[in-house]
Amino acid sequence: MTVHDVRSRHGDPKRGDASDGTVFAEAVGGRLSRVDGPAKITGAAKYAVEQQLEGLSHAVLVESTIAAGKVRSIDKAAAESAPGVLLVLTPDNALRLNTATDWLGTPPPDAPYCPLARDITFSGQHVAAVVAESFEQAVAAAALVKVVYDETPAIVDLDDPKAGDGIPIDTMTKEWGDARAAFAAAPVRICAAYNTPREYQAPMEPHGLIAQWQGDRLTVWEPSQWLDGMARTYAEWFGVPFENVRLVSPYIGGGFGSKAFAYGYGAMAAMAAKMLGRPVKLAVTRPQTFTAYGGRAATRQTVALGADAEGRIQSIVQRGVNETSVDGMWVEPLGSVTSIMYATPNFSSRQNVVRVNTVVPGALRAPGENPSAFGIESAIDELAYEVGIDPLEIRLRNYAEQDPEAKKPWSTRQLREAFAAGAEAFGWSGHTAEPRSMRDGNQLIGWGVAAGTYPVRRAYGEAMVRILADGSVEVESSSIDMGQGTYTILAQTAAEVVGVPAENVVVKLGDSRYARAGVTGGSRLAGVMTGAVHKAATAALDELVGLAISDPNSPFHALQANTLVVANGRIKSPRGEGPEVSIAELLGSVGREQIEAMGDTTPAHWTAEDRYKNNTTIAMALSHTEGDYSRHSWCAHFVEVRVDEDFGTVRVSRVVSALDSGRLYNPKLAESQWKGGIIMGIGQALLEEGIVDRRHGRIVNNNLADYLIATNADIPDIEVISVGIPDPHSSALGGKGVGELGIVGVAPAIANAVFHATGKRVRDLPITLEKLI
Amino acid sequence: MRDFSYLRANSVDAARQAAALPGAMLLAGGTTLIDLAKCGVAEPETVVDITHLKGLDRITVDDRGAMIGALARMSSVADHADIKSRFPAVSEALWQAASAQLRNMATIGGNLMQRARCPYFRDPANFPACNKRSPGSGCSAIGGVTRGHAVLGTSEACIATYPGDLATALVAFDATVHLGDRQVAVDDFFLLPGDTPDREHTIEPGEMITAISIPASAAAGRSTYLKVSDRQSYEFAAASAAVGIEFEADGRTIRDLSVALGGVATKPWRARAVEEALKGKVLEADIVKQASLLAIEGAVDHGANRYKIELAPRVIARAILKVGETA
Amino acid sequence: MTRKTRIPIQLQINGHHHELEVEPRVTLLDALRDHLGLTGTKKGCDQGQCGACTVHVDGQRVLACLTLAVQAEGRAVTSIEGLADGDGTLHAVQAAFLEQDAFQCGYCTPGQIMSAVACIREGHAGSDDEIREYMAGNLCRCGAYPHIVAAVRQAALEVASSMQTASSMETASSMETASSMETVS
Repeated sequence: MTVHDVRSRHGDPKRGDASDGTVFAEAVGGRLSRVDGPAKITGAAKYAVEQQLEGLSHAVLVESTIAAGKVRSIDKAAAESAPGVLLVLTPDNALRLNTATDWLGTPPPDAPYCPLARDITFSGQHVAAVVAESFEQAVAAAALVKVVYDETPAIVDLDDPKAGDGIPIDTMTKEWGDARAAFAAAPVRICAAYNTPREYQAPMEPHGLIAQWQGDRLTVWEPSQWLDGMARTYAEWFGVPFENVRLVSPYIGGGFGSKAFAYGYGAMAAMAAKMLGRPVKLAVTRPQTFTAYGGRAATRQTVALGADAEGRIQSIVQRGVNETSVDGMWVEPLGSVTSIMYATPNFSSRQNVVRVNTVVPGALRAPGENPSAFGIESAIDELAYEVGIDPLEIRLRNYAEQDPEAKKPWSTRQLREAFAAGAEAFGWSGHTAEPRSMRDGNQLIGWGVAAGTYPVRRAYGEAMVRILADGSVEVESSSIDMGQGTYTILAQTAAEVVGVPAENVVVKLGDSRYARAGVTGGSRLAGVMTGAVHKAATAALDELVGLAISDPNSPFHALQANTLVVANGRIKSPRGEGPEVSIAELLGSVGREQIEAMGDTTPAHWTAEDRYKNNTTIAMALSHTEGDYSRHSWCAHFVEVRVDEDFGTVRVSRVVSALDSGRLYNPKLAESQWKGGIIMGIGQALLEEGIVDRRHGRIVNNNLADYLIATNADIPDIEVISVGIPDPHSSALGGKGVGELGIVGVAPAIANAVFHATGKRVRDLPITLEKLI
Repeated sequence: MRDFSYLRANSVDAARQAAALPGAMLLAGGTTLIDLAKCGVAEPETVVDITHLKGLDRITVDDRGAMIGALARMSSVADHADIKSRFPAVSEALWQAASAQLRNMATIGGNLMQRARCPYFRDPANFPACNKRSPGSGCSAIGGVTRGHAVLGTSEACIATYPGDLATALVAFDATVHLGDRQVAVDDFFLLPGDTPDREHTIEPGEMITAISIPASAAAGRSTYLKVSDRQSYEFAAASAAVGIEFEADGRTIRDLSVALGGVATKPWRARAVEEALKGKVLEADIVKQASLLAIEGAVDHGANRYKIELAPRVIARAILKVGETA
Repeated sequence: MTRKTRIPIQLQINGHHHELEVEPRVTLLDALRDHLGLTGTKKGCDQGQCGACTVHVDGQRVLACLTLAVQAEGRAVTSIEGLADGDGTLHAVQAAFLEQDAFQCGYCTPGQIMSAVACIREGHAGSDDEIREYMAGNLCRCGAYPHIVAAVRQAALEVASSMQTASSMETASSMETASSMETVS
């Protein structure tokens, strides 16, 4: 499916850039450059909606301009008579679809589903769509659709007086000891409220799809973090068998949590394709990406810490809320880091969700852990200053030797090592605690530290590995690569196991016809898929060696060996006696076209339905505290900021982060992901905020000029240090999560550094200049 | 974007004639017109492409000043060696604007015609009321999200900030806009919104900017453009200042001073009160800071943009001190 | 005035001549992607705010989303597909991006690379801070910025050394060498 055949002729792509000498670049753990890199740097990589199809038509969405009310009427006459228009879709002519199972596996109600709304619950909701021969015609005609509304008052955000206290989420409640009493009795107490705004994934590739029907078979080219989950949704919407839906997503231009589900516009495009009998492309516009699906919910939390005079925590009391939509549920777990980062004998955490007129929020890099860490990692910094000890020392003083909540040992926790390595590289020992104690002309300089964590989300996986007649190896999976490096690490895994150069491994991903896979989210994919590929490749190798030993036509037949070794694509006996032949030569001599092996880490007793659920819902995932251990990745960020005393502008001038993601399958790519998370965290801390016009309940900065993400000029050099050790309890090959971890703790580290620089504690993100001026 | 006809002008006269047609708009770099057409704000029936006109991109600098053709690209002017040395604030205002790609596209003439970045102005589907777009329809910004809106030169009809950087420097140094034979001081070229925010420039139908001239001066030669924004780059100014100083022979006493503000007013904002207060004074931080406060006399905030009233004088003061300190 | 819905235009893209019929409102970006199948140039925002659609027109980096296709007539357009040599040898910037891992999802990458090539040619790659500023018009949400800076720094050195070789051999000025490599088929 994918094009990786563009080879670098400039340099050797597999030479790696800083191999430590112990790991060959092509093996697991080596610094192999991205195998999909050549396709991406030459423009050859075709992303989902870039497929060129005969008869392609173009759909454009019409969105509600009110936040609450009803559609009274839609006048589509002008649009229908506009040049090139093929179809104007409204609720009146929409096909009747079924409601689909949600991602948790909840059986759906027996109710119809319409992706176009009559009842408006947020501004930007899809109310109609126009399909035309060309993109330009569809855009122009969409502007001609006249919608008349009956508007009703909206609840615009958490601050709205009509919002209320919200709905308690009992499953979020965590209690041990007597937290309130212990807080009241503590000699040192701090209590403060920490807020995070609406934030958006803003992947550089906007969402969209091409849908094409052939009879009752649907093909959808759509950027996807979860092909099988989305295929199930499409299948259930349209009432066709799961096998009839093919999702294709060879490359994904960033997801960050936003591309795991099929959304309403997808249903709309597939519906239009069915009605028109021709393929329909729908590209969500950049402004529409702010309302066609949800970003991170705005959150509010109060954190109270009670401690003794030495800063040892006696009690943590936390109360949090996040917003959700009027008719959807999203919980952003605000107590997730709070309950495990520090040892405390008394703890209480509760959370409510508040319904407001917004699109239902969704996952954005480290949902839960990210805002949770902003609360607790700011609060402990406040405690350090209150008690008068170093912000790094207070973290060590309250180090949790086991999971305080689950009361289980950590599988691995290299956080102490992270603090030590980060402090050393940053030069933290030169720290002067006093705020406003460092300056350079007009710039106040501050240092901050904060920790982060993310649970190891585990699941079962499958993969197909083939050894082909030419001696090359093929790996197939319907999992995906959105930049984390799946193509590369699976090539490394198969190469190492089978014993071939990585460049002789072709990894095929992003097509739901391949071996099924669960969601790519929560940093689980690498652990799941390296395990499955390792198993499949081992089975393929075993069969290859078995053939070589036992097949009468094999050159090794006479050797009567117990085993053979395969290295660099060649087969020989361990002690070197007898022949040495290439894999291709062996397969030729025994007359085999290929060896094919399915690797499957699912429990043997699972039924077909269990496997289906495993790949299309998250119902079968394993808890990170299942069994004897509590499994998490960990990190410590050390940050230097420069705050202009007159202007209030904050620039991050230095970052050193030490991270424990267990064993790294490819350090070069893992470092990139960590840095990416840290950089997104810098933007979150200083720039990013969805701003609501409170009269209209509408996001007004719904574009990349006004919703500010960091530019190159905002980012300093960043040093990342791996302190992980292989964690056998977290994954087959010893890795823990990478992608989500890096962002967790960055915003509080920056806020802490800003306090150190200025003496001002900013508890509302982002830290914009008016808060410091 | 609605459909339109495309005409390629071969001469300035042809461009002017075509531009006078109903629904016609001049197209140069396209960074404003195509953008606004996509937003549904600009709805040209005909676009008249003037980028093929010859000779309008010349930049000449001599002892009398600079003459910059209307079709000179922002990047060419920013990188021009004589502009850098004789009008540093102009070069700095240019390279700090937008991005390298946009500066390669946008022309100097087109830059002066850049329109407001008010989110309400740019979203006609969601916010029908906008006096700048539809005179008399009202102002959606007042009472809304105003963090980026102006605190100087506003009216009850419009509070949109003039977004550009270059014009702030041009206003500071008394540049002139050439509309063929007619010449208008840059300060007069931009109009206050008043009751007619739809009218932003003194340009008449059928007129076209052909050049901009900037007179040479000692202050322009010792100048800077200081821009403060949330993001380090690729963003409009939260506040900016173009400042130039000429000292007396003692190197400390201010003989001449030019100050203009960007990012805080409805048009490029010359701060003459600051200039007058400091002429004849010895450059000293406290005096400069005190005088800079005169720039925001009469400023009116709309809530979220209050910080601009604090910020603007600080930006001016920093810029003056920075220019003053460079020997 | 009579309005013609579609007009014939001729474009020079990556040294190849293309004739197509488009509406005047069709952008160079959509002409490349939808009409010519050159999808290496990416659509990230379609409103001049991200840099993903960066191409070269007459050797200058510009945004294809705010350029009408018809405006590119008579100009030499280079997209990411035209950057490597005819025999597939990567441009120094492309090779540096691969080596430095200056991308993850790859969607902003063609624009970053086109921008970086121009950044070096303009002489704006003199220091890390200058690279950061002059590459700021290309957003990257994966956060590859430090590696992009490293790649541009590395490629700038390679380009400079190769130009020294070229100019000593041919007495051609470095600017001419650079632009002729790209604009002449």
